[in-house]
Amino acid sequence: MVTAYVMVKANTGAADRLREEISGIEGVVDTHIVAGDVDLIAKVEVDTPGKVKDVSATSIQAIDGVEDTRTYIAMD
Amino acid sequence: MQTFFKWRGVAPDMRFVIIGAGRVGLRTARVLSEEGHDVVIVERDAAKSERARGQGYEVVEGDGSREEILEEAGIDGADALGALTGDLNVNFAACMIGKHRGARTVLRIDEDYREEIYRKYAAEVDEIVYPERLGAIGAKNALLGGDIRAIADIAQHLQVVELTISETAPIRGYSISELQLPADATVLAFGKSDGALEIPSPDESLENGDRLVVLADFGVLDDVRQLVVGEAGRAAAGGVN
Repeated sequence: MVTAYVMVKANTGAADRLREEISGIEGVVDTHIVAGDVDLIAKVEVDTPGKVKDVSATSIQAIDGVEDTRTYIAMD
Repeated sequence: MQTFFKWRGVAPDMRFVIIGAGRVGLRTARVLSEEGHDVVIVERDAAKSERARGQGYEVVEGDGSREEILEEAGIDGADALGALTGDLNVNFAACMIGKHRGARTVLRIDEDYREEIYRKYAAEVDEIVYPERLGAIGAKNALLGGDIRAIADIAQHLQVVELTISETAPIRGYSISELQLPADATVLAFGKSDGALEIPSPDESLENGDRLVVLADFGVLDDVRQLVVGEAGRAAAGGVN
């Protein structure tokens, strides 16, 4: 099992919609709207490191209103 | 509304903590000081701190997102905290501490889409400012010249504007008490063409060159402009948002 945190920078004020759409992605176990340089943080739990990329680069970045993502894979 | 009356110097002297001695923070500190309020600036950068001190401000050098630094700046006795750095993380942390210590909090955002998010979710933040928007309003006013001047965004759909009555204005010649503005607009102040702005008195007559300060919803701003400025002004000014 691989755990990763995806920092999501938005370009829309529709944070609720983004949270819902991100939460609906398979592999995403938790999503929060946060204050600061990024707007949402999603926790991802998948079987392999390759699937982390599917979630962050493919699924999350495809959502309308997502400007950029940065992914951190947990090492512990 | 509250902000507007503070600007007019009606509120008694207050104490403010401003985080950030950049262009926004210093400018804010200057306006508050000029109105007789106590201002303490918190700035992380030594050179910026020195420059602010050189301009006569009380400066606490340190990270405005740290509680002990805000304590040193007197957050406990402060009426309000303005988190005005370019670093949103610092600004939000400062507001969290400020709110916890009982201060009114104002957060500077760096991109306008965040306004909606912070209004909805950031309970620690009482007001949000996006300086670039105000700058854009100023630039637009300057470019247009003309007889309508945006003074402030009060809320997303609410703006305070100053209008100058023209020769062809439908309201010209009437008195303040006869003035009928749309439902979502209120007259806040009135000034004769050669006088200062004052709280309007009902008998005052509205003449060419006189100025009205109006709080209006964007939806009725065009109607207000048409009434107060007349057709010519309307064509020249366009939207203010």
